[in-house]
Amino acid sequence: MSTCRHQWAMVNVRNGYLVIEGCAKCKARSSFFSTEPIAPVDNYHEGEHFWSYLSSAQAVKFDLKCDECGEAVSLDEMMGLMLSTCREPECEVGRIATDAGRGTWVYVALCADSTHAGGKCVSEAGVKALTEYFNAQIKDQDKRIIVVPCIKCNSIDTCEGIVIADTGLTDIY
Amino acid sequence: MKVSELAEKAGLNSLNNFKDKNIEGVYISDMVSDIITGAKANSLLVTLQTHKSLIAAANLVDVAAIVFVRGKKPAQDVIDLASKAGIGLFVADKDTWTFAMTLRDTGLK
Repeated sequence: MSTCRHQWAMVNVRNGYLVIEGCAKCKARSSFFSTEPIAPVDNYHEGEHFWSYLSSAQAVKFDLKCDECGEAVSLDEMMGLMLSTCREPECEVGRIATDAGRGTWVYVALCADSTHAGGKCVSEAGVKALTEYFNAQIKDQDKRIIVVPCIKCNSIDTCEGIVIADTGLTDIY
Repeated sequence: MKVSELAEKAGLNSLNNFKDKNIEGVYISDMVSDIITGAKANSLLVTLQTHKSLIAAANLVDVAAIVFVRGKKPAQDVIDLASKAGIGLFVADKDTWTFAMTLRDTGLK
């Protein structure tokens, strides 16, 4: 186990599109990050699923690397971040937010598969590094950030929150 | 320079109650994904974007205050979220470039 007090920095920053797809058969949602000049809108079969394009938003991906020890944490599996406004006692994220109290903001790290059928989500090392990184940037002593993986949400499809994404960008003018 | 001092010098009216932080820089962007990777703590954010997602991003990187240019005013739920986060919201009638020049004239570097 590392004893380094990590000084995380953003590395490997990539601009692209977050593409959201839905399966017409099972209603699952999936997402992927594309660095193509135009967001792909193709429909295709994948096993039992038939994925159809739902929406896309300009997005950014990055990894974290410690300036002190050189340890790198890949955040490839993270598709975005969502500020949680959930306060549901049945939801672990809602409980974390309620227990944390005033001044603490819970952000959910969103992975590609809303069903979590494969049991995978943003890694523990990833959310830990994200939490450390964002808290290290903050200068407001009354503010604290907690990043949690979306697998902790009761249902990420219905969880209350504000996704950080450039949706509706053409509407701003 | 404090947020309140800047507001006075630039002739800005606040939309909400805010923490009067010391502004340490300026970031201009209309993309929330860009704000996460580019804006620094205690910076002043200048933008056209009025979506709630903007506040979620600004809060994550500890932005001190936001100026919406070209007279754009956010919805009340956006203002409420910013107030909860202590982020000052202001509206400027000028376009982004002209407002950037105003910031320079206030002495903000």
